Amino acid sequence: MSNYIERFSTSERVLHWIVTACFAILVLTGIGLYSTLFNGYFAIFGGGRNAILIHKIAGVVFFFTSIYMYLNHRKDVSTFDEDDRQWIEQRGGYLSRSARHFNIGKYNPGQKLFAIFIALATLVLGITGLFIWAPTEFPRGIVQLSLMLHGSVFVAAAMFMVVHVYLATIGNPGTLESMMYGDVRKRWAKHHHPKWYKELTGEKPEG
Amino acid sequence: MAETINQNGRKGFLVDTSRCIGCRSCQVACKQWNKLEADKTTNTGGFENPRDLTPALYNRIRFIEKESSGEVTWQFFNERCMHCGDAGCMKVCPSPGALYRTKDGTVGFNKEKCISCKYCVSACPFNIPRYGADDKVSKCHLCPDRVAGGMAPACAKACPTQSLQFGNRADLIAKAQGAKKTLYGVNDLMGLGVVYAMDGPPGQYGLPAKPTIPASIFLWKDVIKPLGILGFWGSIGAVLLHYVTIGPKKIEEDASDDKGGSHE
Repeated sequence: MSNYIERFSTSERVLHWIVTACFAILVLTGIGLYSTLFNGYFAIFGGGRNAILIHKIAGVVFFFTSIYMYLNHRKDVSTFDEDDRQWIEQRGGYLSRSARHFNIGKYNPGQKLFAIFIALATLVLGITGLFIWAPTEFPRGIVQLSLMLHGSVFVAAAMFMVVHVYLATIGNPGTLESMMYGDVRKRWAKHHHPKWYKELTGEKPEG
Repeated sequence: MAETINQNGRKGFLVDTSRCIGCRSCQVACKQWNKLEADKTTNTGGFENPRDLTPALYNRIRFIEKESSGEVTWQFFNERCMHCGDAGCMKVCPSPGALYRTKDGTVGFNKEKCISCKYCVSACPFNIPRYGADDKVSKCHLCPDRVAGGMAPACAKACPTQSLQFGNRADLIAKAQGAKKTLYGVNDLMGLGVVYAMDGPPGQYGLPAKPTIPASIFLWKDVIKPLGILGFWGSIGAVLLHYVTIGPKKIEEDASDDKGGSHE
């Protein structure tokens, strides 16, 4: 019997990394627009005009793939139960070294909130991005507001991304595998997502 | 975030609206000197022409027709880039050198450095910059080639009534204040490069009484931008601090703990 259990299917993983690649391109092309401090990043793309063009293309791909990714996981991330409430009350045990056990399903509330945030951020960035795309075609007030919102939501997304990367890599050893090969160790699943493990295998995770 | 500006060395215009006769010599002279194509316009029943600034029209006369107690009055207003001391366009421009402060304190532009983001269109308190077929910024640049040679800009040179006066900004203001004129733009936005002596309230000329950089633009560039950079590095610092204080959530590697049915 295998020590591993599948967490993300191949298509889920490929989609995730397409969204990731778009996000990285959007950051690299957009950061020079955010502040002249990062003007040098335009050089990667052969100047600001090209960077803007690539930002627009990557933005469209990001918008649809990110929304599609959310819709794929909508059922798993949009409902919260009593176990989730406990997790939230104790901040998932992340603020203390003492071991805590939560009866968590496929995603913990932090992951659910992150998924919802990214979906909302995608909507806001996409809609405001449309106005910024052709500023002379829309009322000035709307474009001004869009520029401000686009910058604000980007900042929030970048900060969430730092936390996401941390928690999915060194913060929770064994997690990254789920997005690389798709399989996680059973012990990892029992520890972090006991309810999900039970649903999947029928085994009692605590033993 | 506004760059400091040497107020004493600033050059600019004093536009005395009461002297303007609406001849539009300034419009024509500007086009001639700056080699700007003529725009095809349509007759809409008024004398004002063109009805708006275009990429090939850096300044124009706005005709304000008013009727009060059966009497019609005409007012003329020279509309152009104000060369603000605290310029919204420069605040948002992501391409250094595309919009720049000249040594005379005016706001110049360099089409070769413009990356066509059009942020300046949104950030201008007076809605001045225009983008043409080349997708590059254009606006009044105050004829830097003429000014560098000690000449007045083409528009001021052509003005037959001295409604448009060009020179040292502080001197022009002092002179107008000495003549008890009501001035617009002396202190707003760290002083406009184009100061108006007006016959009535600013609103009458379609100007904001107190011009400012749009609130969203101010929030974006002066609040969110610096806080965002701080927040980004702060979040990286926070996760690193978490790693070395509380630490990662390790799963027990001990095989004896394994009771889930799997085996090593």
